[in-house]
Amino acid sequence: MPEWPDDVAEELRQHLDDQYRDLRAAGASHDDALRAMADDVNAVRSRPSGLRPELIAADVRYAFRTLRRNPGFAIVVLLTLALGIGANAAIFSVVNGVLLRPLPYHDADRLVVIWGDLHRPGVNEIPTSAGEFVDYRDRTHAFEQLAAYDTLGFNLTGNGEPERVEGAAVTASLFSLLGASAQVGRTLLREEEEPGRGSVVMLSHTLWRRRFNANPAIVGRSVLLDGRPVQVVGVMPASFQFPDHTIELWTPMVFDAEAVSDNNRGSHGYTVIARIKAGLTREQAHADLAGVTSTFKAEHPDNYRSGFSARLRPLQDEVVGDTGRPLLVLLGAVALVLLIACSNVANLLLARAASRRKEIALRTALGASRGRLIRQLLTESVLVSLIGGVIGLVIAAWGVQLLIAAAPDSIPRLQEVGVDRRVALFTMFVSFACGLLFGLAPARRASRLSLNDALKEGGRSSAVGTRGPVGRVLVVSEVALSLVVLVAAGLLIRSFARLQDVQPGFDSSNLATFRLSLPPSRYSFEQGDRFFDELFARVRSSPDVSGVAATSALPFSGTGGGRTFHIEGRRVERPQDQPEEQIRFVTDGYFTMMGIPIISGREFSRRDTLAGVRVAVVNDALARKHWPHESAIGKRVSFSERDPQWYEIVGVVGDVKHRGLDVADRAELYIPHRQPLFSGPTVRPMYLAVRASSDPFAAVAAVRRELRRLDPNQPVSDVRTMDERIGRSLSSRRFSTVLLAVFASLALALAALGIYGIVAYSVTERTHEIGVRIALGAQRRDVMAMVVGQGMTMTIVGTAIGVAASAALARLMSSLLFGVSAVDPATFVAIPLLLIAVALAACYVPARRAMRVDPLQTLRSE
Amino acid sequence: MQYMKNRMLDRELKKGSAELLILSLLEDQPRHGYDLSKLIEARSGGVLTFRVASLYPLLYRLEKRGWILGRWIEKAGQRRRRYYRLTPVGANVLASQRDTWREFVLAISRVTGVEHA
Repeated sequence: MPEWPDDVAEELRQHLDDQYRDLRAAGASHDDALRAMADDVNAVRSRPSGLRPELIAADVRYAFRTLRRNPGFAIVVLLTLALGIGANAAIFSVVNGVLLRPLPYHDADRLVVIWGDLHRPGVNEIPTSAGEFVDYRDRTHAFEQLAAYDTLGFNLTGNGEPERVEGAAVTASLFSLLGASAQVGRTLLREEEEPGRGSVVMLSHTLWRRRFNANPAIVGRSVLLDGRPVQVVGVMPASFQFPDHTIELWTPMVFDAEAVSDNNRGSHGYTVIARIKAGLTREQAHADLAGVTSTFKAEHPDNYRSGFSARLRPLQDEVVGDTGRPLLVLLGAVALVLLIACSNVANLLLARAASRRKEIALRTALGASRGRLIRQLLTESVLVSLIGGVIGLVIAAWGVQLLIAAAPDSIPRLQEVGVDRRVALFTMFVSFACGLLFGLAPARRASRLSLNDALKEGGRSSAVGTRGPVGRVLVVSEVALSLVVLVAAGLLIRSFARLQDVQPGFDSSNLATFRLSLPPSRYSFEQGDRFFDELFARVRSSPDVSGVAATSALPFSGTGGGRTFHIEGRRVERPQDQPEEQIRFVTDGYFTMMGIPIISGREFSRRDTLAGVRVAVVNDALARKHWPHESAIGKRVSFSERDPQWYEIVGVVGDVKHRGLDVADRAELYIPHRQPLFSGPTVRPMYLAVRASSDPFAAVAAVRRELRRLDPNQPVSDVRTMDERIGRSLSSRRFSTVLLAVFASLALALAALGIYGIVAYSVTERTHEIGVRIALGAQRRDVMAMVVGQGMTMTIVGTAIGVAASAALARLMSSLLFGVSAVDPATFVAIPLLLIAVALAACYVPARRAMRVDPLQTLRSE
Repeated sequence: MQYMKNRMLDRELKKGSAELLILSLLEDQPRHGYDLSKLIEARSGGVLTFRVASLYPLLYRLEKRGWILGRWIEKAGQRRRRYYRLTPVGANVLASQRDTWREFVLAISRVTGVEHA
């Protein structure tokens, strides 16, 4: 054997010399020859040993052994991660189901909703009229199919209790447009859109099961809708819902000559959805549509005085609406919580790396390269993180159920939320990233140790802890991150509190409300009027009821609509200046019963019928808007230009919150129920409000009893107390506020744990030094100040960064706030104080231990 | 295809045929390392190459087993080189490995139907 190193070196040198000479002789340049030789030498080494499966397997086995040796550590780390990752996966499931997953229709990304724009303020996103729909359908080329629909309620009778069912009138094209077919029977036919042939209905799966025991023989039979027999032609599968899960039946949309005539060109009552032809962009489809709408003004000058255009919005955006922003804020907050958890785990690993120095030094001495060590340590952290991810996924599956149960109905597509493949992939990706994130710093640090240092220092270490910059940076960022989440939660909580202080403008206590829709097929307007008179008279005699009234648009019921009108003596130059305000039809005594204050004049009485003078009541907002400098009482308004019927304003009442406590008061115009705007009125759906003597449910029962006596086939629907309605209007906000508050508490707890951990670790690590200081005469007070000061310096730096970051991020929050500025001074003072107080407590515990260090004992143990 | 072939050959070499190659080349005369690497490359038509990092460890391993023996030899006008020659033990090993190899190749060609060149 050649002697090491001289012989071997000489021999290899010879080889390389020869090789160089030959390469040059063969015409290679000096550089090329060197490169070729270097490649030769490297050929074996360049194999990427880190990716060899057997090495990874060994690393994983080693990591498992290490974790088993230290189960306490493993459990703390796993729990922290599983909670952080689980919360992220749960929120992501909701974001995925609501925002990301395509709608459950065939090629849903080509589906759009068409909105009209009348080029006047307030009417730039309106539904479509029948005439417009027919023009879109017959004159555009960019769409495969178009469909129109309108949601409406039906009284379903026969087969048991009368029931109010939400349904939709749809064009037959809807089902093929969505790529949906019937489970039993068939979908609607085009010829069923013709007048006189539309007495058919399709049932949803839920209605079919609930009302008809899932009996397939129902197809072909007749049911009673609004007292009219219609034939069931099909049942849709359970997976089909349109436009949302509340709709339980579909009837054909019937467009007769009157509906598409110029008279009704302005009745924008239908939502139109369309499928863009494959290969066309939305812009191209819009251009095609614009070609059609540009002719509208010339063809129907009366209807489009300021012009008209149409816009397209993806159906997905339409369905998701404005739930995106709060969900993304929640996802952001929960991601911050996970970052904080990662920092904590990184700090734990740093501390543990210190106790593993000997092991690592030994492995280095035995020839493990630095890269190999980093790989080993990273394998450990990624492994921990992936296990945390798997547990997190289980937590998420459970958390999602909790979220769905707690979430308000107002979040669309909630039934579609669940843990699917994308959620699982997301979770695993997040876990992997976390493992790298919190593992990298400790691994790099640990691998930098030399055997010498490790052995020289004995058991003590100074590589980590408060004296190491990495640990300090981690704690500072934890504090900053948790401050951001806390501030966001604080702002939402303040908004919510403000909102709860808002008065609705009426007395909501003991108020039961429900909807009553007399079918026009069985009731004329006059019959309906008599029906209400009779019902009210009977109900008022019940001891459970102290008052009853009805309105066409109850506050917090989601109903209501606007109407243009004329003010006597005021000429309107431009059509867009014509006033348009909310209109409500109410029965006499409505304001008193609701507790809406009458500011001036009088309210409606029994004498306000078509036989008497036509009267109106306005709310304060309307009076101030249109008669800012004079009294509105005595002024007259009308709803048609040519043959004006004047309605005299006889009273001004207080403003009420109608759409939500966080929505600004709107101008409202009240008309007596018995003085309809036009001749030949039909009976209209009304909301009844019943003031209970004590128990609202007893009052509802009393009403139901009288109702059954008057008309056993008449259902009521949407039965709720007013307080419940107001609560529901806040539910979406309550949901995000509560969740954010939970995340913020979690963030605070993790940050406190982080501060505690690092300060406590530093005390342990410096016990000897502290002992020496005390022995040399340091006061215990000074020791305490030193330890607390250390923790608080980090806290205050982190708080300062967090405040700056919160202020920068405030913009994202402002749309979610109510009555609170996004940089609300109170929140921005209180939250940092809270955080500092918690941090102080977290520092105090280890500081007290430091104070009690016995100098003799520490010195003796040297 | 060429890549695949190289990979397969590589693996075969690792399985011991590399030893057979070295021993065969040292049968009729002693040679130095660079000479061996050039001969393997030339005689195999470039299909087999030995890199520095794999050739010398192999030579040392064979030497340790006593199959070959390295000696520093000085020739006039040249630097001294380490020449390897076959030991009697190595010669026996070579003979038996040759037989094994022959049988192996024969067996392979019987199975695969590839003519032995």
